[in-house]
Amino acid sequence: MDITQDKTVESKFFVKINIITVRNHLKEEVKFKYQLSSEIEKPVALDVLLQAQRKIIPDLAFRYGCRAKNCGVCTIDINGRPRIACKHKVRDGDTLSALATLPTLSDLVVKRDGISRQLRGIGNSPKGNNLNINAPDKYHKLTECIECYACLDKCPMHKKNFDSSFDESKKYQNDGYKYGNPFSLLKLERLRTDPFTSEVGREKALKKAINIGLDVCIDCPGCKCGVGINLKENVIKPLLLAADKEIKKKKI
Amino acid sequence: MKIEWKYYDVVVIGSGGAGAQAALAASQEGCDVLVVSKDPLSSSDTKISEGLATVRKSGDENDTEEDLSNNLKMAGKDLPSKKLTDAFAKDSIKAYDRYRVNGLRPKINKENSGPQSLPLAMGGHNKNRSVGHESNGVAFAHTNWDTIINRLNIDYLEDSWFLEIVTEDINANGTKKKYVTGGVVYDASRGVLLVVKTFNIVIASGGLSTLYFPKTDTMRGNTGDSYALALRAGAELLDMEQIQFLPFCLTSPPSYEGLLVGEPSSASFLGVLKDNKGKIILDGVYLRTRAECSSAIMRAVEAGRGSPNGGAYLDLTPNKNKPLSGPYFMKYIQSVMPSAYDNAKQALGKEAANIEVAWEVRPSAHYSMGGVRVNENCESIIESFDGNALNSIEGLYAAGQAMGGLFGANRLGSTSLAELSVFGYRAGKAAAQNLEKEKNIKVNNEKFNEILKRVTELLGRKGKYSSYALKLELQKESWEKIGPVRTKGRIDSMLISISKIEEKFKNVSISNYSIWNQSLIEHEELRNMLLVAKSIATAALEREKSLGGHVRLDSKSSSFLNAPYSTVIKFINKKELKIKRIRRDRTKITTLILYKYKEYSKLFRAKLFRHLPSGIQDRRLEKKYKNIMNESENIQEVIAGGEKAAKSNSMGF
Repeated sequence: MDITQDKTVESKFFVKINIITVRNHLKEEVKFKYQLSSEIEKPVALDVLLQAQRKIIPDLAFRYGCRAKNCGVCTIDINGRPRIACKHKVRDGDTLSALATLPTLSDLVVKRDGISRQLRGIGNSPKGNNLNINAPDKYHKLTECIECYACLDKCPMHKKNFDSSFDESKKYQNDGYKYGNPFSLLKLERLRTDPFTSEVGREKALKKAINIGLDVCIDCPGCKCGVGINLKENVIKPLLLAADKEIKKKKI
Repeated sequence: MKIEWKYYDVVVIGSGGAGAQAALAASQEGCDVLVVSKDPLSSSDTKISEGLATVRKSGDENDTEEDLSNNLKMAGKDLPSKKLTDAFAKDSIKAYDRYRVNGLRPKINKENSGPQSLPLAMGGHNKNRSVGHESNGVAFAHTNWDTIINRLNIDYLEDSWFLEIVTEDINANGTKKKYVTGGVVYDASRGVLLVVKTFNIVIASGGLSTLYFPKTDTMRGNTGDSYALALRAGAELLDMEQIQFLPFCLTSPPSYEGLLVGEPSSASFLGVLKDNKGKIILDGVYLRTRAECSSAIMRAVEAGRGSPNGGAYLDLTPNKNKPLSGPYFMKYIQSVMPSAYDNAKQALGKEAANIEVAWEVRPSAHYSMGGVRVNENCESIIESFDGNALNSIEGLYAAGQAMGGLFGANRLGSTSLAELSVFGYRAGKAAAQNLEKEKNIKVNNEKFNEILKRVTELLGRKGKYSSYALKLELQKESWEKIGPVRTKGRIDSMLISISKIEEKFKNVSISNYSIWNQSLIEHEELRNMLLVAKSIATAALEREKSLGGHVRLDSKSSSFLNAPYSTVIKFINKKELKIKRIRRDRTKITTLILYKYKEYSKLFRAKLFRHLPSGIQDRRLEKKYKNIMNESENIQEVIAGGEKAAKSNSMGF
């Protein structure tokens, strides 16, 4: 990561990594030899991207932030599965590409804001008034989410956004995605478990969950969180339980 | 590239803690607000922080506003402005409660029905007043994110770089004054140059630590944008030489380089710093400020007694090697700063995590204590054109890490999350109130067109260099010459390095496409970093003695009896940086001596304690831990790497 490390170029140890770049919708596979500083070095994906930028693609586009799995911005696909680049160790032959679940902007950068826009205004309802009540553990559990969007992988609800023929430009700019995803549901369930949220606020959150397609979860085997939150137990189940009647009505 | 024009009442640059609070305040006043963020919404330093916030009275009923204000001012070696430290002390409880209204949930202390503070006062605090949170800074980030998306009169743009602020000089009643009229944004996700017309801009786009990458533990986006934008708009910057280096960060392996493993308080009662010969270079670590620890490490390195990777050793083993109190210490170290402990565990291995060996540590750039010169309402202030009275750039505000004058030469742990909630909100509110003032400003579109021209002409430019390579060069030079160790010679040499990089900068290649053009982004960020590096170097020359976050090897340390001064830097004729000093009020000598006396006597008691027979130490420590951890029954030993030491653990006690 430091220029001085260029001295280590002489090391005869390397791993071969494929990096998929995208410019003006043109995809290209770049074969990159990552130079290891020693035989025992176990590089993470971010190490590879930083070295590739230093050595061969100075305008390589990728996001990163804290390098400590806290900021949630560096998620990419490694061999087609979402991984947090700053902590995921790579192996010879791995392929790094942009998250397949969101639209690519350049190289490994995807457009993310269609998700936040979907939830606009959702927490904007009257609140309770005693601040000095401990929030339950399930509330704090949901706050561990770093918004890495790994959970979009294989989500049938999120996938529905790309089935239909929405106008692309309208889809992202104002209202966000029509259908939800585990992250959106987590945000809504977090609002519902917050002791400070009023009854009206809770109902509003549940209604939103139903509107963005909660019923899809009924037949789904479950989703996977990038930082280990049990989404099925802590998010999907309680929402489905609370929405039971409404969903049945909707299904009929 | 496509060009769009828009108007907003208030524009906030940055979507972290300060930006979210500024947007909230302006939105509550009924303004149409635009938040411009280059990183994804609220993915800022606030998000990756340890999540500790200063809340007055949280740990001590007798914690007065005066106590807190004086504490900040004296810890900052009298460089802080009293108006700012007073405002901080006045609002700290209220501002924290505003965060709670928007979703931040601390653990409640049943005894006083309020947020529960940490078991020990953080280093340098005269009262115990730091409140921790489950999920650390991420808990704050959720609240920031919610605050922005919940309010429908706040628009936001992610992936958008604010490139330039535009001002007009207007003559009113015979005096000339600067007014903000808007700015230009590169919206990378749509490939659009957006001209925003507005009379109110809040700069809340964080710090500059990326200048020292990878020797930093902060977000990549800290490329000094706040300071460069402000300088070019005509604002003044305060104390830019004052950069806070966190003393206890990792030196290796590469993926972990720069990341935090602990604070002075992590050292607990018996932790010490040692050099490569095992000699103690600093004791009573838990009572020391970050600056004292960083300085001890770097002095050892410069004297050739450093560790292999240019650091020193934080030895916590004396805490662990005690039959009764050892298990309590293990619980303490694992829960007081869980994500820092996690870094140590992953990077240094099992023995280190079990505190069987000392940790190799080196300072990392963490926070810029200097920043935009503002008053207590976050309005940018500048010396008027006649050189005497203070004036302002009408409509320009700064808050959070972007502002200067609050921390001076040292920032105490947990104060920045309080800073952004106090001053972010004040800035947004002042901006909203400024709207009501009648303005007679003719906005000159030519100024916007000039910026659009500059940027569009960059696209497709052919050159010999890449901005990214020059960025790496600048980062390396910055650590060596304007980092934690400085001499006049090194700083002079830094200014020469900067000029050389500036020459190459005129000759860089830029790709020719609009959507997320990384080479354009690198170019604009490097442009800011170069200006900021120059400001730091210029200010560092003006700070002749060791003071605060850095060591001057070629001169003595500044005594607390020296007359305190701040450095002020600004552009003259948009070309040349001009520096001067302003006098700061010194705290009353009697108060200072009392403060120093208390510091020394604490250190003296800690030293005595370290030399007591081990058995007595152990029993006393057991009592201390029981006391601070609010536990009377026996606890089970927590095994490092086990379930209980996992990151998802609560703050514990």
